[in-house]
Amino acid sequence: MDLKKVLMVMLVSVFAVFLFAYQGQAATERGFDDKEIRVGQWGPQTGPAAPWGSVARGSKLVFDIVNEEGGIAGRKIKYFIRDDQYNPSQTVAGVRELVERHGIFAFVGGVGTAPCQSVMGYLLENKIIWISPCSGASAFYKPFNPYLWNMWPTYENDASIIAKFAIEKKKFKKIAMFYQNDDYGLNALDSVKYRLSKNKMELVAAIPVEPTERDLSSQVQKLKASGAEAVIGFVSPTQAAIALRTAASVGFKTQWMHSYNLSDYALMNKITDGLWAKEGVITGAFTQEPYADNAPTKKYIEAMKRLAPTERWGIFYMAGVVVAEPLVYALKKVGKNLSTEAVKNELNKITDFQGVGPKVTWRADYHMSGKELQIWQCDPKGEIIVLQQWTKNEISRD
Amino acid sequence: MPVGQLIIEGLAMGACYGLFGLAVVIIYKTSEVVNFAAGEMAMFSTFIAFHVLTFYQCPFWLAFLIALVFAALLGVFIEFFFIRPAKNPTLLGLIVITLGAELLLMGLASWKWGAEQQAFSLPVSYKVTYEPIKGFIISEWAIAVFIIAAIIMTFLYLFFKYTKLGTAMRATQQNKHAAKIMGIQTDHVFVFAWAFSSVIGLIAALLLSAKAILDPQFMMEPFLRAFAAAVLGGLMSIPGVLIGGAILGLLENFLGYAWPVWKPITAFVVIVLVLCIRPSGIFAKHYVKKV
Repeated sequence: MDLKKVLMVMLVSVFAVFLFAYQGQAATERGFDDKEIRVGQWGPQTGPAAPWGSVARGSKLVFDIVNEEGGIAGRKIKYFIRDDQYNPSQTVAGVRELVERHGIFAFVGGVGTAPCQSVMGYLLENKIIWISPCSGASAFYKPFNPYLWNMWPTYENDASIIAKFAIEKKKFKKIAMFYQNDDYGLNALDSVKYRLSKNKMELVAAIPVEPTERDLSSQVQKLKASGAEAVIGFVSPTQAAIALRTAASVGFKTQWMHSYNLSDYALMNKITDGLWAKEGVITGAFTQEPYADNAPTKKYIEAMKRLAPTERWGIFYMAGVVVAEPLVYALKKVGKNLSTEAVKNELNKITDFQGVGPKVTWRADYHMSGKELQIWQCDPKGEIIVLQQWTKNEISRD
Repeated sequence: MPVGQLIIEGLAMGACYGLFGLAVVIIYKTSEVVNFAAGEMAMFSTFIAFHVLTFYQCPFWLAFLIALVFAALLGVFIEFFFIRPAKNPTLLGLIVITLGAELLLMGLASWKWGAEQQAFSLPVSYKVTYEPIKGFIISEWAIAVFIIAAIIMTFLYLFFKYTKLGTAMRATQQNKHAAKIMGIQTDHVFVFAWAFSSVIGLIAALLLSAKAILDPQFMMEPFLRAFAAAVLGGLMSIPGVLIGGAILGLLENFLGYAWPVWKPITAFVVIVLVLCIRPSGIFAKHYVKKV
C-alpha cells in the first residue's frame, strides 16, 4: 500500500469518526451548549396576516428580559424568528432551516392553523419541544402529541362560552353565525350549534365567508334578513371590520360577538373607523387585560418600552409573551442540567400556571390549553370592559 | 330577499369593479398588454394619499391631488423603466414584467407602511345613509360611486371618440406600425396610457378602500373582479367594462345571497363562461387584420 492510499484510509476513518461523533453529540445535546439555548419561532412578518406577526416579537421580549437578567444557569437564550408570510410551504422551509442548520432546542408560538399543521409532524419526529401553536384548532390536541403543549384555548371553548353569554346573560333569542369557511370557523360553528341545542335553540342563519373575500354585502344582507339580535363571528380582523362597515352602510343593527382572535380593540377600532367602540362589540378574551394592575404585566410593559420601544402592547404581542412564559419557567426549574427530557418533565408538572395568559395545568398525558375564557366588550372610548371573568366551558367535548 | 338593497349594493360594488376594469382596459386598448400590476399601482397610490393625510395632516383635496399626480408619475415610471426597455418583447414577456412590477410594489408598500391594516376615509361616508324608498337604503359612499363612475365613463367615451389623443390611442392599438407611419408618437401614447390608467385605478382604489380596509393586499381581490368585468364587457369597450362590472356586482350579490358559499367563485365562473361563448367579451368589436 503506498503512502497515498494509507493517508486516504486514515482520512476516511477520521472523517467517519468525526461524523458519527458529531451525530451522537447532536442527538443528545441539540439546541444548547454551555453558553446558549437556541429557541425558534415562525410567524408572518410580511403578507396578509402580518398583524399577527407581533406574536413572534412578543416572545422575543420575554427572552430579552431573561438575557438582560443574566440568562438561565449561565446560558443566554438565542432566539430566531423566521418570516413565513402565513404560507405553509415557507413555514416548512424556515423550520427545517432552523432545526438542521442552527439546531433548535424548542419552538414557541407559530401563527396559524395551516402553517402550524405543516410542521407538526416534522417537529414531533425530531422530538422538539413546542409551546404552543397560536391556533385553537383541534388538530393540535387530537391525537395527543407528547412534545406539543397547548396554551391557545380551543375555538370550541371560545365559541361555546360566547354563545352561552349571549343566551344566558344577554337573553338573545335570535342568534346568527358568521364564520370563516375553514377549521377555525367550522370548529366554532359546530360548538355554537351544540351550545344552542342544549338550550333547545337553533341558529337563525349561518353564513360562511372565504378568508380572501373583500365585498361582504350579500353576506351582511343575509344576516340582516335573518333578524338576528346577535351575530357570533369567527372571521379574520379584516373581514370583521368590513362586515361592520357594510352593516353600517345598509342600516343593520345587531350585537356583534367575536372570537378572542379579535380582542385587540385598539387595532379593531382603528380599522373600523371607531365602529368597534360605537357598536360595543363583544369578544372572548384569553389574556389578562393588556393594562391589568399586576406585577407581571407592569414588568413586561416597562421592559417593552426599554427593549422594544417601537412595538405596541397589543393582544397579539401579549400572545407572544403568553407562549414563551412556560418555557422560561421550565428552563429555570431545570437549571444547569439541561436536556429535552428534563424540560419536558418540568412542563408536564405545571399546575395552575398563569402569567399574562390563561391558566394551564399539564400532565404527561394531558397537554390541553385551559378551558377558561373571559368576555370583554369595547366601550365607547375603545377601552375594555370585562363583562365576565374567567369562565369555564362546562360542556366542553375536548 | 331584500331585492332593492341587493341591487344598490351590487351596482355600487360593480361600478367600482367596472371603474377599476377601465384602468386595465385603457392599457389593453393601446398595447394589448394585460397589466397585472394595476391593482398594486392603485394600492401604492392610495397609500400615498393615506400617508399625506395621516402624517402631514393635509386636507383631503390636497392629499387627493398629490396622489393623482403620484399615480400619473408611477404609470409613467412603470412604462418607462419596466415596459420600454424590453427588447422585442412577446406578450407573455410583457405580462411577466407587469407581474414583477406587482410584486415589487407590494413589497415596497409592506416595507414602508407595514402590513397592519389601516382605515382610510373619504369625505363621503358609508355610515351616512338615506332611505328614499322603503327597503332601498343608500349610503353617501354608494351615491359618490355612481356619480364618479358616470363622470369618468362619459369623459372616457368622449375622449376616445372625439379627441386627437384618444384617436391616436385607438389607432396605436389597432396597428402600431401604421400609426407610426401616420405620424403618431406611439411612445408618447403608451406613456400617456399608463399614466391615465394609473390615475383611474387610483380613483377606483380610493372608493374601494373607503368601504373595506387599506393594506398592501387590498387590491388583489378587486383586481380579479375588475379583470372579470373587463373580460365580460369586452377588453376593448369602455361602456362594456362598466356594464360588465355592474352585471358582475349584481350576480355576485344575488348568487352570494342565495348560496354564500359559492360567492367567491362567481367571478371566475363568469370569466370561463364568457371566454367559452364569446371570447372577445359581450361588447367587443372585432377588427380583421390582413396578413
